[in-house]
Amino acid sequence: MPLDYRRFNGPEDSIPYNYYTKEYLKSYHELHRELIDENGVRKDGRTLDEARSLCMFFARTDMISQAKGSAYIELKKTKVVCSVFDPREIMHQNEFSALGQLFCEVKFAPFSCPRQRRPHAPDAEEKALSVALRKALEPTVCRHLFPNYQLDIFVYILEHDGACLAAAINAAGLALADAAVPMYDIITACSLAVIGDQMFVDPTEAEENLAIMNPEKDGINNGLITMAVMPELRQISDFRQIGSMDVNCIMKATEVLQKECEKILPNIQQILVLNVVNSFEQQKQLEKEAKEREAALNAKMEEWKTLLNAG
Amino acid sequence: MPGPDLLSSQGLRLDGRRPNELRRIRCKLGVFTQPDGSAYLEQGNTKVLAAVYGPHQASKSKSSVEGVVVNCQYSMATFSTGERKNRPRGDRKSQEMSLHLRQALTAAIKTELYPRSQIDIYIEVLQADGGAYCASVNAATLALVDAGVPLRAYACACSASMAWRGAEPAPLLDVGHVEEAAGGVVLTVASLPSTGNIALLELSHRLHSDYFEIVLSRAMQGCRDIEIILDRAVREHLAEGWTKQDIVTI
Amino acid sequence: MAGLLLSPTEKIYILHGVQDDYRSDGRTNIDYRPMELETDVVSHASGSARLRLANTDILVGVKTEIDVPKPDNPGLGKIDFFVDCSANATPEFEGRGGEQLANNISNMLQRAYNSSQAFDLKQLCILEGKQCWKLYVDILILECGGNLCDAVSLAVKAALFNTRIPFVKAALMDGGSVDFQLSDDPYDCKLLEAGTAPLLVTLCKIGDKCVVDPSAEEESCSVISLIVGITGNPKYYSKDAIETPNFKCKCSTIGMNGPGSVAPETFKNAINQGIIAANSLDEALGRALLRERQECNNFKKNSYGFLK
Repeated sequence: MPLDYRRFNGPEDSIPYNYYTKEYLKSYHELHRELIDENGVRKDGRTLDEARSLCMFFARTDMISQAKGSAYIELKKTKVVCSVFDPREIMHQNEFSALGQLFCEVKFAPFSCPRQRRPHAPDAEEKALSVALRKALEPTVCRHLFPNYQLDIFVYILEHDGACLAAAINAAGLALADAAVPMYDIITACSLAVIGDQMFVDPTEAEENLAIMNPEKDGINNGLITMAVMPELRQISDFRQIGSMDVNCIMKATEVLQKECEKILPNIQQILVLNVVNSFEQQKQLEKEAKEREAALNAKMEEWKTLLNAG
Repeated sequence: MPGPDLLSSQGLRLDGRRPNELRRIRCKLGVFTQPDGSAYLEQGNTKVLAAVYGPHQASKSKSSVEGVVVNCQYSMATFSTGERKNRPRGDRKSQEMSLHLRQALTAAIKTELYPRSQIDIYIEVLQADGGAYCASVNAATLALVDAGVPLRAYACACSASMAWRGAEPAPLLDVGHVEEAAGGVVLTVASLPSTGNIALLELSHRLHSDYFEIVLSRAMQGCRDIEIILDRAVREHLAEGWTKQDIVTI
Repeated sequence: MAGLLLSPTEKIYILHGVQDDYRSDGRTNIDYRPMELETDVVSHASGSARLRLANTDILVGVKTEIDVPKPDNPGLGKIDFFVDCSANATPEFEGRGGEQLANNISNMLQRAYNSSQAFDLKQLCILEGKQCWKLYVDILILECGGNLCDAVSLAVKAALFNTRIPFVKAALMDGGSVDFQLSDDPYDCKLLEAGTAPLLVTLCKIGDKCVVDPSAEEESCSVISLIVGITGNPKYYSKDAIETPNFKCKCSTIGMNGPGSVAPETFKNAINQGIIAANSLDEALGRALLRERQECNNFKKNSYGFLK
């Protein structure tokens, strides 16, 4: 690994001090008990099957003025910015590609994760997320419309509190629509953490961490699933699972995720419709101003004409 | 001088061979179906795979009107050496090896027959136990024969080292990893034995010029021996191939 | 892979064959091609295997090194996958050309081996919090004839099954650091338990149907394939087959490959199909490996390598 000389790097073998705090040394059961109480209410007050996308979903487009399209999505503490740039010709390519290429990059802010500081150089997780994002977006973009061109999509995760891939896909879908890139369908994504027989829809970082931790009892289901869906076409564009779970669990999870993804759709549609309405109003406003200016100019012209004629 | 340690009082080497003895060479042509030619060669514990693609049209930057461009890539599997390698290729040593391979093989190929074309030769070392370069050249020759590329002669490579038995100089043939690591000189020769030409000569340490002649002649003798082995392998492969092909056509 | 050119008519021919459950090489949609497997082929590695699935040729070597465990998992060893696409397979892989494919496969493996129920890393622990074994699983792709993922996962499992780890004889605590003495006798070692190691099954969607073990031609007809990682059943991998009553194979990873998308119903069918395929593969692999080990113990083993 080449060392990054441009920045100040911490000592290579340092360990975050919180590995030795009480918070960190809790056992699996303690952590589990903390996340969910007897009534099935989670730490942040949601029920098991309640996604943050319903109650605390905040999203907007046009965040970054330099980008062709951009979006910002906030799922309570998970905050993601996405920007999409104009298609550009692929440089140094020996073969003509009939389909346009998507270039995706997912980046964590150095301060985004609660457990460790993120390095500036892209690490394995960021690369994997970038590939997953590209995989999820490829089926929905009309790539045949820009052959030999590439579309750059950058996602920056400002704060990570679980479900960051799902948030990134949602944000990228929104940003692509904002950039007026032709698409077959809106894309929505949702993730789910499985711990034993409980399914945490739209998990927080603590829940995700527990789901991929080694359970003390063997043979129970645990793991994470993220699914991206094109709701109108009823197609799954990406599905990724880690951990270990049996078939029934996966089938059930697929159903749950599909419903959740459909629930996100109206939110995104609303934002996009609002965008159109806004831009129409803006257009109207501009036209009105232009007319006023023209009228003023005409008046001035008349004034001068009369002056000239008089002179 | 590290010489005396390399030979026992009985005149045997560290791995039990006599000074003028090659390691066992086993080889097979046509191991893979997708490349135009391929070969596998085992020289003692050194195991090498070679694949040849082409001749095909050369990329614009490389193209030459004079003759075919030989493109070599030498890479070592990460598990091939005692200590794990981090990268299979791209380091200095393997780049140098690619260059040397190219030099030896260009001398053997009738390059003038294919202007504006390119031949790709890929070498994969699966297990390295000394003499990886020699084994690579020998395997590449077999792969070229399998691909049907016209050659001037077999290109064979062999190494030799210097040792003393009492006061008598006794050059060692086909140096193994243990002998290489012991720090003796290693003279590597790639030659076309049937024409008597030398394509590449490399000496790892200093050697008194008085002894150069005998070490070189020992290495050349090794090349001639290897040529016989390769030639037999090619003949056997072709004989086998004919019978196989007959079955297919019937 | 290498210069594979198919005309639209040929593609339609393959597609129709899959539709009628009769593929161009005579297989049905759930059949695998014949495989050859040999373990212990590289003497410099602690464990190795070579697998040839029709034209796909994979060589896997496992090397062991001593490392310090991660602070958040003090009781676990480490496992690392490295895939190298040799230029022998196709000239496109020359230089860094095969890197993307290699990364894809190694990521898939890393994720499949992530779960504790897939591969128990506790057996690699030497001294908790201080020292552990790190397994380097190096995969060399020598020829591509389609279905790389499945072939790689089979070869990796075989190589892990074949891996020997030397016993630690004595440990010296010297201040904070630990010194080990490893046994020099090559037979004084333990074998890894790799029975639960996952197998990857690629399901290639052609038309409306999914096929297992696609050839290179079939892969080029498909826009999406589903990769399912299923944990193995340890009963196939030990002689005194202890029947664990309700042992159920689990999915340790699912991923998708290719630019297309898939309908939910097809997706579910494909997963079920994948589990059945993985089970029978696992059984066959276990049988082959046990037979090989038996032969090895009786000193009857012939080594073929690439000379066959």
